[in-house]
Amino acid sequence: MTGLLILLVAVAVAAIAAWGVSKKNGRFATVAGPERLGVREIGVALGERATLVQFSSAFCAPCRATRVLLTDIAEKVDGVVTVDIDAEEHLELVRRLNILRTPTVLVLDADGAVVTRASGLPRREQVLAALGSAVADR
Amino acid sequence: MSSTSRYAPSQVDRRGLRVAAAITSIVLALVLVLPSPAREILLAVQVGVFAIAAFAGLKRSPYSIFFAKVIRPRIGAPAELEDARPPRFAQLVGLVFTAVALIAFLAGATTVGFVATAFALVAALLNASIGLCLGCELYLVLRRLTPASA
Repeated sequence: MTGLLILLVAVAVAAIAAWGVSKKNGRFATVAGPERLGVREIGVALGERATLVQFSSAFCAPCRATRVLLTDIAEKVDGVVTVDIDAEEHLELVRRLNILRTPTVLVLDADGAVVTRASGLPRREQVLAALGSAVADR
Repeated sequence: MSSTSRYAPSQVDRRGLRVAAAITSIVLALVLVLPSPAREILLAVQVGVFAIAAFAGLKRSPYSIFFAKVIRPRIGAPAELEDARPPRFAQLVGLVFTAVALIAFLAGATTVGFVATAFALVAALLNASIGLCLGCELYLVLRRLTPASA
């Protein structure tokens, strides 16, 4: 029956898309390239060991959860600061860094170089592992 | 609870949206497998629900009322609320797809009817499963393209 076949295709498409999006969220990927941010771009002084830069936008429910998580991590880990940047008010930065989605989290090392980044709401262990790679590179 | 005032946009409980998406998914799945005329009748009901949510507000949708009366008392207040405008626009998108499907079925163009229903079903499934609201994303894209007063 045609309808049943189409139902199965629709469920399969939705399942694949849901799996793909879930895997992508919070997956930190190493960044190649010389992007470096400083207090002029992000508005706060860099952390001694690392900086977590989050790009947010309006109507973004996961952005709030991400900010809460990053703030908590920055409080608990020495030498790490976090800053939340409104994408719509920093469009030149968004273009320069190729920010396609919010939330996007960039991990900067002590010199402000972008080491790794992820989009979507990350889990705590994903952020901690990403911080580890930014700090270990020194 | 939600707050409405002339200056602050209306807010909604995300969990109600997920429940509504789950019910919608079941309804649209049934539409795909039921024979006529049950399929057109059920689809017309879904079109009605989308229309109420899009034009009268999310809180007036029968699915939201079900959530508020049956489910929310059992799970307590939400931790946070969300702006209602993107999901309300998403209901409008759902209305368009299902209205097209209904007209197609009634006009005998069953393939168009199946495809349009399937699109709406995929969107509802994504919303119900991982909270991804495609209509909301479309709202954001459109909003970015027309920078009127905030």
